Amino acid sequence: MTLPARNPRDVVAAVSPAFEGLFRAEYARVVGIAHRVLADQGEAEDVAQDVFLSFYRGHPADAPYARAWLHAAAAHAALNALRGRDRRSRREAAQALPLEAMADDDPAVTVAASETRDEVRAVLARLPERSAAMLALRYAGLSYAEIAAALDVRASSVGTLLRRAEDAFRRELR
Amino acid sequence: MNDTEIERALGTAEPRVNTDDALARFQARVQMDGIAPVAPVARPRVTSRWLQGLAAAAGVVIVASALTFSGLAGSILQIFEPKSVVAVPVTQSDLNYLGQACAGLNLQECMGAYGTFAWTVPPQPKEVQSRGQASAEAGFAVQAPTSLPSSVTGDPRYGVINKSAATFTFSADSTKLTAARQNRTAPPMPANIDGSKLFITGGPAVVQIWGTPSSTATSHGQADPIPTLIVGQAKAPTVSSDGITVDELRSYLLSQPGISPQLAAALRAIGDPSSTLPVPVPAELAVSHPVTVQGVQGLFIGDNTGIAAAVIWQKDGMMFEVIGSFNESQALAIANSMR
Repeated sequence: MTLPARNPRDVVAAVSPAFEGLFRAEYARVVGIAHRVLADQGEAEDVAQDVFLSFYRGHPADAPYARAWLHAAAAHAALNALRGRDRRSRREAAQALPLEAMADDDPAVTVAASETRDEVRAVLARLPERSAAMLALRYAGLSYAEIAAALDVRASSVGTLLRRAEDAFRRELR
Repeated sequence: MNDTEIERALGTAEPRVNTDDALARFQARVQMDGIAPVAPVARPRVTSRWLQGLAAAAGVVIVASALTFSGLAGSILQIFEPKSVVAVPVTQSDLNYLGQACAGLNLQECMGAYGTFAWTVPPQPKEVQSRGQASAEAGFAVQAPTSLPSSVTGDPRYGVINKSAATFTFSADSTKLTAARQNRTAPPMPANIDGSKLFITGGPAVVQIWGTPSSTATSHGQADPIPTLIVGQAKAPTVSSDGITVDELRSYLLSQPGISPQLAAALRAIGDPSSTLPVPVPAELAVSHPVTVQGVQGLFIGDNTGIAAAVIWQKDGMMFEVIGSFNESQALAIANSMR
């Protein structure tokens, strides 16, 4: 859902300073995680808004688990959104991506890269939830400790679980 | 495909975000929808969060529940004993009204807004050391999952809540006052409801919690970790009244201000309100649907992020619930492995 744009100056601060601090500190990270899954910034920002709203409704801003909760929710909510896309919209999103390959002038290379990116999203949607979330978190730049906190696994297990997730990802991608 | 190629496949371009605009959009949404945050974490903690959770669970068991008073005369009318569970969607406006009605109040005071609530046997949660001890304290065989996902490790902690009882007496004056405090007008309370009593008992209940080490293993001052799995089991509750019927009660409650048409319709749609436990599910935050668990119909509830799930069912006079950070199939597998 996208709300009409409003001038920030028209909005009286509606959230506590603690929540505002959390939002400012984590918004870019939450969007980054969702973006790894969705490859669409607009959708990723919508997911981030929903994630912060869920947190705001259900958890105190100064909860010690706030960051881990937001990271996990970003990955899971983005994966849910990804699975909800139909095949056509997935293709459209993939084609709208600012691909590295776009710099290539060869249209064939661009289309091939776009199809690969499209397939990557389909693979993420098919992977087991935890594996897909782990890949999204890791490739969004989270540390092993942050991934462990978000997914509630031991930090010492993250390396193994991540390797398994990567293996599954490669297998699915053929 | 190496790590670099995976990284490229997942996209290396960092999205550029405007956090100020995003925050303004968020605040506009919060204001437009009238969304309230939860209260900040209370400090200092007088008792451990774990025991507070148990106390809250006890409250839920009591409120959602009741058992017949074995010693009461035949004039007592049993109006509620759940044999099945059903989800009812609770909207933000319902929550706002209840939130305003109960702001800053505990359960007893909140229910006091509509009459007089009094514990006759208050719930007293306590921790015990083993499943056997929990069974002995509760007076029933405590079931436990025989199969757990790899994310759930270690031994559980056991909490037992005694069989508790309360009486609620409806008061037209209290209800009028509560509505007036919120600038609303409550419909007149029918004469046969004003002053009538509900006898509520609940439990005993046993809660098993994985992922929270005992207080001696938690360093001082450190927050308790979030449980990875909670399994609850309680004697199925019943509610008795000294005269009013469940239909009279339902009609009156649904006429209260602040009950959304959506919630009212869902409650009216319950075929047999005397044997169906309505489980409130936030309409915008969670999804729910019936599932088959242990051979009976139960209810799956998941939040929209996919990180929290619950399965609730009723079988052989007992209520069961499994709650944790699982997907639906994992939650159901745990529930079906309960022995």
